[in-house]
Amino acid sequence: MVIVNKLKLLVGGVQLRDGVVTVTDILGRILTRAGLHILAMERGYASTIYGAHQYDPIVIDEQPPVSWGDATLDILVALDYDTNPDAKEQPNRDTVLRHAKHLKDGGVLVYDSSTGEIPSDSFVRRGIKIFPIPARNIARDELKRDVVKNMVTVGALFRLLDFDRDATNLTALLEERFLQKGREIVELNLKAARRGLEVVESVLGAKGWADAGYRLEPRKLKEQMLLVSGNDALSMAAIAAGCRFYAGYPITPASAILEFMEEHLPKYGGRALQGQNERESIRAALGASLVGVRSMVGTSGPGLSLKVEEFGVSGVTETPLVIVDTQRAGPSTGMPTKSEQGDLFLVAYGGHGEIPRIVLAPATQEECYSMMIEAFNLADKYQCPVFFLTDLNLSEGRKVVPESFFLKQKVAIDRSTLLREEDLRRNGDFRRYTVTENGISQRLAPGTVGGVFKITGSEHDERGFVSTDPVIRKAQVEKRLRKMETYLKEDSKPPQVYGSTEGNPVLVGWGSTRPVLLHAQQALQAKGVDAAVVHFTRLWPFNTAAAKPLFAKAQTIIAVEGNFTGQFSDIIQTYCLLPVRRIVKYNGLPIYVSDIVGGVEQLLRGKTDVVRIGDAAPTPVKVSEGD
Amino acid sequence: MSDTKAETKPQQKISAKVWDENAVPRHRIQWCPGCGDFGVLASLKMALTKLEVTPYEVMLVGGIGCSGQIRNYLNGNAFHGTHGGALAYALGAKMANPNLKVITLAGDGDTFAIGVENFVHVCRRDPEVMLVIMDNGVYGLTKGQHSPTHGRGMNIKEWSEESPPPFSPLRLAMTAGCTFVAQSFSGDPKHSAEIYVEAMQHKGFAMVNDFSPCVTYNKFNTYDWYKEHVEEIPAGHDPSDQNAAWELLNDFDRREKLPLGIVYRNPRSKKAAKRLPMWTEELQQADIKPLFEMFR
Repeated sequence: MVIVNKLKLLVGGVQLRDGVVTVTDILGRILTRAGLHILAMERGYASTIYGAHQYDPIVIDEQPPVSWGDATLDILVALDYDTNPDAKEQPNRDTVLRHAKHLKDGGVLVYDSSTGEIPSDSFVRRGIKIFPIPARNIARDELKRDVVKNMVTVGALFRLLDFDRDATNLTALLEERFLQKGREIVELNLKAARRGLEVVESVLGAKGWADAGYRLEPRKLKEQMLLVSGNDALSMAAIAAGCRFYAGYPITPASAILEFMEEHLPKYGGRALQGQNERESIRAALGASLVGVRSMVGTSGPGLSLKVEEFGVSGVTETPLVIVDTQRAGPSTGMPTKSEQGDLFLVAYGGHGEIPRIVLAPATQEECYSMMIEAFNLADKYQCPVFFLTDLNLSEGRKVVPESFFLKQKVAIDRSTLLREEDLRRNGDFRRYTVTENGISQRLAPGTVGGVFKITGSEHDERGFVSTDPVIRKAQVEKRLRKMETYLKEDSKPPQVYGSTEGNPVLVGWGSTRPVLLHAQQALQAKGVDAAVVHFTRLWPFNTAAAKPLFAKAQTIIAVEGNFTGQFSDIIQTYCLLPVRRIVKYNGLPIYVSDIVGGVEQLLRGKTDVVRIGDAAPTPVKVSEGD
Repeated sequence: MSDTKAETKPQQKISAKVWDENAVPRHRIQWCPGCGDFGVLASLKMALTKLEVTPYEVMLVGGIGCSGQIRNYLNGNAFHGTHGGALAYALGAKMANPNLKVITLAGDGDTFAIGVENFVHVCRRDPEVMLVIMDNGVYGLTKGQHSPTHGRGMNIKEWSEESPPPFSPLRLAMTAGCTFVAQSFSGDPKHSAEIYVEAMQHKGFAMVNDFSPCVTYNKFNTYDWYKEHVEEIPAGHDPSDQNAAWELLNDFDRREKLPLGIVYRNPRSKKAAKRLPMWTEELQQADIKPLFEMFR
């Protein structure tokens, strides 16, 4: 039996040298154009330039995949050709050592056999079809160009998936990328791919296999599809939403936003600034926002910690700012290339004193787009920091999204709190910090004739002059924090509910875990457990009025989070006065369907209130990494 | 400095009084009687009046401390954030709207201790911002702790990690690539005003280190002390000559004197910049469809 258009594939190899991402990028582009869906949310790499193990798992489906599922793989592609001296069985490959245990029985293993074949008995016993491809030798010895070794593998992979046999799609992509450099480069790559194809055919022939067990078939493309990451989506959205000043300091995994903005923002009349440090970035962005320009900064945990002082400046001076935090595993340097949901307390509570602030946490690439547009309007209206909380998996994870999705998003830029000259003439006396019922006062851009403002991070009166008068202090604190009540009344959105919460276990999550929660819900249902999913994308200020009734009749509340504490669980517990049990994972790996299913089963058995995922045996390969 | 006087424009002149509006009234100013910052305030008003700038287009960014309060003592838009941050806010503001007159007003502690990271790189970035440092050698507002310029002129035999010798703002600015390096003395506000006029007309980042004595907490670097030690830069000095600027600094150091005037001025060739789009009608026309191309 051949499985068609439904598989999970992992490409692994040595970082920088083997071109893991080159291979997955080619696959991604070609399969997207062939009408298939891609979800690649678990990219693994190290915080070194060269030499560490890198991998990129991809889910391929003809329907949009529910989630990244489990660690289980259908196809494993090992690009590394050198052996691991630490492994007992020689010769061996890091990619095989790390990931082959996740291969399904009957799956496929493709590896570079340039330095010899791997011991295969255990795989054969599991019905795994092995394709040794001497890709590096073919590239180096026959084609005289080391770099085309990946194209040999791509050709092999396409042949065993019975896809693009005449290389039409591959030729188109290669021409697009290399024709400018010369026809001979395109031909060389095509030749490499053909050699890969030939090797697979000889393996099939020798083994007497009719096929590899998997096939990809192109689908009719009904509309233009895009393969985008979370960082891509939120950067495009920021430009669409009118962001014209971006500042960032290089940091994984937020640097891609800075690079995107540096390349594209000037085309829209904007400027992108690489700060000399994290603080210069946020301060310059506040300066630009002060002048009236929609501004954004992006960073990750360590950078955000350095920016904390300016949260207060934004909050008290009432200067709008969108702050992207692409969370990675902390604390301190932590694990720069691993995902985590550990910064919620920092964005919700970080800093001295009390300020209004809004925390948004999109779940998908689509929401990275739609909610970013919302973020800029909220920043303008509430004149406070608006945190946009993603994480490494979401920010670097790629997904196929129809182009029409982006075109359909309504971009209504609302700058009504920013006064103009004619407003000033009409209103007369301008006070920057007028105490209002909803807490919102009007702003002024410097240069507007007829008005002058005084703005300060010190406590101030309505005109912005420093004051410690108790009456004024009380009025200003309340004015600022009243904006959060207004937000809850006018703009906060309730969590999304899937399934019935009455009498059922209710799974709670926030941010990027929604896909896997919904996938786990299906898996639990197949096991006879009806669970509801309540997913939050608007985290702060916490919407108790919308949330509490959803939990009132739950059999039990189980929050699933990528941190040790259960940070959001604590917030729910505090605001809803209900006990929240937890499934938490903080070992650097994505939360998988089996983690949630197993965790729920364990919690329903009633022995514990917290399940900590990740006690399985460690990977049998030790490679030190940098930071 | 007769050669620095700007020509009088034929249009109607802005009255000097306009700078007293939208400001804390003079009798409420919270500086000690005799504070050097009064001189800086007077010089600023003179310079702004002379340049016929309107308060609407002025963006004052104040540092933390006594000096930063100056932003509220004269007309013009003002911002005041964190300790050490003033120049970075000013950088963003000027990048966002080059039509504004952006002026940063801060102390020596704010600029050279907690904010030195911004100072050094703003010298490199060279935004058209004037920085006036009210240099008094102490943290006055917190009752006189030493700042990086503390110890100027003191005859101290042994230094320590806790009390290191003062450093030279002018030399740091020169080293960091500042394109306008000047020094003034608030005991001579007219001369200071002339320097500010030059600084505000400079096409780049202009640093003016203004000796502004703290009459309460610095009993050493007093007005009298400065009067004995300051000396106007000789008329023959060519500020566009970097070597001459260094030699001048060496010469003054040798003679234990402090130069007043423009030490170095050498504008850089720079890309023209426009105000960034910010109004709804400017933003709504943006077509993001071309961005999709790379994701197909």
